[in-house]
Amino acid sequence: MAFRDAIFKRRIVIEQSSVAAPGAIAFRAPGASTSDAVVLRGLTKSFTKQRGWRAVLTGKARESVRALSDVSCDVRAGEFFGLLGENGAGKTTLFKILATLVIPDAGSATVGGYDVLKAPSRVRETLAPVIADERSLHWRLSGRENMRLFAALHGLRGAEAARRIDELLALVNLVEAADRLVSGYSSGMKQRLLVARTLLARPSVLLLDEPTRSLDPISARSFRQFLRKDVALAHGCTVLLATHNAEEAFELCDRVGVLHRGRLVATGATSELAREVGEDRFAIWIRPADQVAIDSLVARGVMRDAKVTPAEVEGWSRVECDLRGGLDGAAETIAFLARAGVNVARCEPVKLSLADLLERVLARHGNA
Amino acid sequence: MHKVWALIRSNWLSATSYKLGFIFSFGSLVLSIVPIFFITGALQNTMANVIKGQGDQYFAFLVVGLIALNLVSSTIYALPGGLQTATSTGTLEALLATPTSVTALLAGLSGYEVLLSLVRGLVMLLAAGLLGAHVAWLQLGASLPIVALVVLAHLPIAIITAAMVLAFRTRGPLPQLVLLASTFLGGVYYPTAVIPGWIESISAFLPLTYGLTALRAVLLEGKSIATVWRDVSILLAFTAVSLVVSTVAFKAALRYARRVGNLAQY
Repeated sequence: MAFRDAIFKRRIVIEQSSVAAPGAIAFRAPGASTSDAVVLRGLTKSFTKQRGWRAVLTGKARESVRALSDVSCDVRAGEFFGLLGENGAGKTTLFKILATLVIPDAGSATVGGYDVLKAPSRVRETLAPVIADERSLHWRLSGRENMRLFAALHGLRGAEAARRIDELLALVNLVEAADRLVSGYSSGMKQRLLVARTLLARPSVLLLDEPTRSLDPISARSFRQFLRKDVALAHGCTVLLATHNAEEAFELCDRVGVLHRGRLVATGATSELAREVGEDRFAIWIRPADQVAIDSLVARGVMRDAKVTPAEVEGWSRVECDLRGGLDGAAETIAFLARAGVNVARCEPVKLSLADLLERVLARHGNA
Repeated sequence: MHKVWALIRSNWLSATSYKLGFIFSFGSLVLSIVPIFFITGALQNTMANVIKGQGDQYFAFLVVGLIALNLVSSTIYALPGGLQTATSTGTLEALLATPTSVTALLAGLSGYEVLLSLVRGLVMLLAAGLLGAHVAWLQLGASLPIVALVVLAHLPIAIITAAMVLAFRTRGPLPQLVLLASTFLGGVYYPTAVIPGWIESISAFLPLTYGLTALRAVLLEGKSIATVWRDVSILLAFTAVSLVVSTVAFKAALRYARRVGNLAQY
């Protein structure tokens, strides 16, 4: 977190975005580069549901599912941008449109200035999706042969291709395993090879779709560090990361967009979004659970959305709540409870789950 | 071309990583010639008159027919098969995301199977030669353009089948119909002239009919390619027309798959 804050400490101005979907909350960092790597305008996509035989025979109208709805957003060159959303939010559809694998129904998307519909081959030269599915590797080939194939498909030849392959295998720490069949690789090794394969083309925009979903927590952390340090910073790529892991998005990304049921409901600097929607959430351990004192804090506007549950230690209760003013609010609350004769054993910030985060963003979205 | 070779090479490396299976497939191919040799030997007197003008030995006649049929089968099934494999193994999406033209991808995905079929054909012909097949070996080079035309003439069927796979995840009935018709009406086991009545007219619509007539004339009768210009011209015309139709169909299927979003689903 400190690392991220040091790099991305900016004065944030919360404003209604001119590019986000109507009503979406945008947190814009003034002074940021105006050169945009990815520009989305009103991107909309629906998929038709498959009909069963009964529906076909009874002539029922085809139902469609809206995967993306009027999504507008700019991702600046060199930025690490996170797309946060639950399963089915539209993240993968958006990535597939950017990778020219899916045609949108309406709106436009440009990558490095190239339109995905009008210049798909230019887009494919500029952008590379890291297809996180391990199956997209050729398992009966060695890591080096996988790299060699994709080097050729990206137009690299001879000594140049060999040099680039060696560089990238070293980068992802697969030199020793390079000549072994991929079928013998661990999940982490396969993920690193997928990234190395994608970097062959020196893409200026990289798409990462849930890259840590098949990794254990330790491997996932190490992989995230690799993405941040060796991929984004060292290669200067613009990275779009789709994830349903809020912690991952907050750890890696400069800015985050929140997709919900195909709508981009919020975009903003990660630190600001985290603070805005999560940093006022605290858990306080108290004894006794004095409801009058809690109600009084709520009435004063210091505390809201309080949930009191018995703590693990008998006699103590855990109050999870929003405290206005963050740490100042926490200090005020502790002092108030002490004056009311309530013992306070512990008070700490609560990390929000993606579900909580979405709930809060959507509540704000509704307000906006 | 570099990209096509890279794909063919990777398929070759994948196939040969199963070393035992690869060796056995060639071993069984050579062994399969032996019963053909004895059966055709027994039928030689009966078939000698029937095959007149397409070689004098039924063994060589049938071997050339089987080689061509295998080549047709590989051509028809290699492309949709390659697409289905790439979809089910998950590599298709990664391949499509590279700056590689669709033509190069299709050629690369199917090229290995077609080339392997050519090599298998050559091995089969050599094995037949060892058993005494009457082949005009000096005409081997001259027969290559005809072999290439047989492949090209069946490529549109492969492309249309691949379009079906891409759009609807099924090969449809076309490849089976063409292969069945080619097997029994294309002149593989007997000349088309012996097929009775109206059924014979179907063979006129099969590219293999012309390909085999030309191939046998050159490879078994030792004639020059100029003597089979009529068959070659029909093959060329068939190829040109059907390639245009199939390319349009494939582009439409690709656009449809991109629109409905099932390009990489299996």
